[in-house]
Amino acid sequence: MIKMSIYIYGITDSKDKLDGSLKGLEKAVVYNMPYQDIGAVVSDFNGEIRPIAESCVMKHEEVIEEIMRDFTVLPVKFLTIFEKQENVLIMMKERYDGFKENLNRLRNKAEFGIKIIWAGGKIKENISDSHNGNVQDPPISGNSPAKNYMREKFGKYKINSEFEAAANKRIKMVDDFLSKFAAEKKLNVLKSENLLLDASYLVERDKECKFRAAFEHFKNISGDMKSLFSGPWPPYNFINLPIKDKV
Amino acid sequence: MTMDEKVLTDSAPVFIEEIEKLQEVIPRKINADPKNVEKGVAKLVLTLIELVRKLLEKQAMKRVEGGSLSDDDVERIGETLMKLEKKMFELKGIFGLEDEELNLNLGPLGDLL
Repeated sequence: MIKMSIYIYGITDSKDKLDGSLKGLEKAVVYNMPYQDIGAVVSDFNGEIRPIAESCVMKHEEVIEEIMRDFTVLPVKFLTIFEKQENVLIMMKERYDGFKENLNRLRNKAEFGIKIIWAGGKIKENISDSHNGNVQDPPISGNSPAKNYMREKFGKYKINSEFEAAANKRIKMVDDFLSKFAAEKKLNVLKSENLLLDASYLVERDKECKFRAAFEHFKNISGDMKSLFSGPWPPYNFINLPIKDKV
Repeated sequence: MTMDEKVLTDSAPVFIEEIEKLQEVIPRKINADPKNVEKGVAKLVLTLIELVRKLLEKQAMKRVEGGSLSDDDVERIGETLMKLEKKMFELKGIFGLEDEELNLNLGPLGDLL
């Protein structure tokens, strides 16, 4: 016997019924489970996704984006499943305040992703060459193994410091273009030597065009930097719930 | 809006390669397979030790830069850091771990190292 459970896609700022045309995982009808003035967007689920296919992840995302057209949504992590409707309502009751605060803050806003790749390896090499492998400021006197070790480490430290300063200068250039049109931002800097910036910006709907234009402007003067622009996405990176409140 | 319209770049292969490289290096979960559990735990412990070692090293370099260390201090700290690095090298060898593997993805907080 197949055990039915409840698959949850997101929390919305609406308690209204959906029209039943939206289909979720396993082609099940997506519906809204109201709690006070908010709702959990769910579908019935037979409890098994094996193997997890890319199409399932895309379907989850597709449902959230579809709901985003009409409501503010707090996207829930892929494969979040409750045993029965009653459990969903208990969760909604316990976390209602946190959900409301986030829904209010994220209303009419969407997330955009910006990734920038630069020639980090080459830039570091150039910095290293300019030091000619001989950083002596301040000098470490003596030639014991420990002093030689410290001298070598200090050289690398200075090269890295210059590398990070160069990276920060470029990131500031990108961010100066974009942040004036964003309500919030999250910047991940130098995730790898070449991935200079992996950023998420939360943008108000009526500023999306300006945000896109700012990115295009940056792109035109970005020189050898390569860029990736994505969105609008559900605000995955801007939901602030205490750990105990995570769905 | 399709995925193609949502992701705009003129350098897709470069980004795919870079992101795949990052995902290979930094798994989101500790490997708790019974056959590899020892390596998984070692990886976690060594990552934390590496974090502390890097912090100590950075602090030491800042003090060298600031000129606040005497010759004896530099000698003593250098010897300590050198021994610590040597021990880490040995431990990584025992568990078959590479430098790039010593990291943890902390979700919304980013990567540990």
